[in-house]
Amino acid sequence: MKYSEVKEKNEFIVIVGCGRLGASLANTLSDEGRDVLIIDKNKDALRKLSMSYGGLALIGDGTDIDMLREAELEKATAIVVVTNNDNTNIMISQMAKNIFNKELVIARLYDPERDYVYREFEIDTISPSILSSNEIWKLLTDDEGR
Amino acid sequence: MKKRAIIVGGFHKAIALSNSLIKKNYNVTVINNDYQNCLSMAEIEDVAVINGDGTKPYVLEDANAQNADIVIALTQRDDDNLVVCQLCKKKFNVSRTVSLVNDPKKTEFFYQMGIDSVVCAVNAIANIIEQQAFLKGITAFIPIGEGRISIAEVPIQGTAPVIGKKLWEIDLPKEVIIGCILRGEKSMIPRGDTRILAGDMLVLISSDNQEVAAIKELTGRS
Repeated sequence: MKYSEVKEKNEFIVIVGCGRLGASLANTLSDEGRDVLIIDKNKDALRKLSMSYGGLALIGDGTDIDMLREAELEKATAIVVVTNNDNTNIMISQMAKNIFNKELVIARLYDPERDYVYREFEIDTISPSILSSNEIWKLLTDDEGR
Repeated sequence: MKKRAIIVGGFHKAIALSNSLIKKNYNVTVINNDYQNCLSMAEIEDVAVINGDGTKPYVLEDANAQNADIVIALTQRDDDNLVVCQLCKKKFNVSRTVSLVNDPKKTEFFYQMGIDSVVCAVNAIANIIEQQAFLKGITAFIPIGEGRISIAEVPIQGTAPVIGKKLWEIDLPKEVIIGCILRGEKSMIPRGDTRILAGDMLVLISSDNQEVAAIKELTGRS
């Protein structure tokens, strides 16, 4: 399922992990008028959300099945898993897929080596190092063309 | 050929397990990401120790995971254990993976994710303590199927409330059956209309940890 298809419906997005990426994503989505819920086990992390953030915030452990239920993951159209631990992200994504039957699961993965664990479970992965290296490569090759 | 086992994480548990696996003629490799722990474990004879993060594919490769017969994940973190087992299954084709799980609610999920055996330490310990506490009512106790099913021998004393009752009159939990009655020299497979007599020895088969409730019902102890 493409993100654009999800957008059609009245979507509700759950974000696990309120780091720089999670918080900025939550702020952006909320500014665009989407329903967002963000979970982080650290209360202070939620301070990264902007003043204008209009979504929900939940303090708790995203690896806890009951916590995900409380976050009403059942109703969510998508879940974005961006904690700072790859293995945690893998586990939460798989729980979202298998326990909550979510179709659109996006996870960040620092270490691209473990990618195939995700691929098999149809989880979309974002790997910062690969994205960065692609961008740097683009800049470098653009420079040569000039 | 010697069978190969890899143990990832855990310190005291890993040591105890390595010792017993070595006695059973296993070739044991332990992976631990704490250097001090690794030094201590290296003192065990015949154990190969690898210092590294067992959730990383290249560390498992160093440990020769593709040739392992069994991989046991004992780290503190459920997510790490899950990843270790999945990597071993998917990338290294290990035939048997065993994982410790701390959160009892995740046990079923771990099985769903293809791990062969999931051991929930919290549940297992709580069950053992509970059974120990009620040990008076039981003379023998055998857990099977990773402790999900148990066979217990329960003696019926003269004061038990079920004496003279037929089996169908006893309000046993659904998950419990009386598989056999030992009466004197005889053993019998009971039917619904079999009466329980003082001095009988009942063999209970129960799942879902219902044995304590059943024993309460049978012996009247609380």
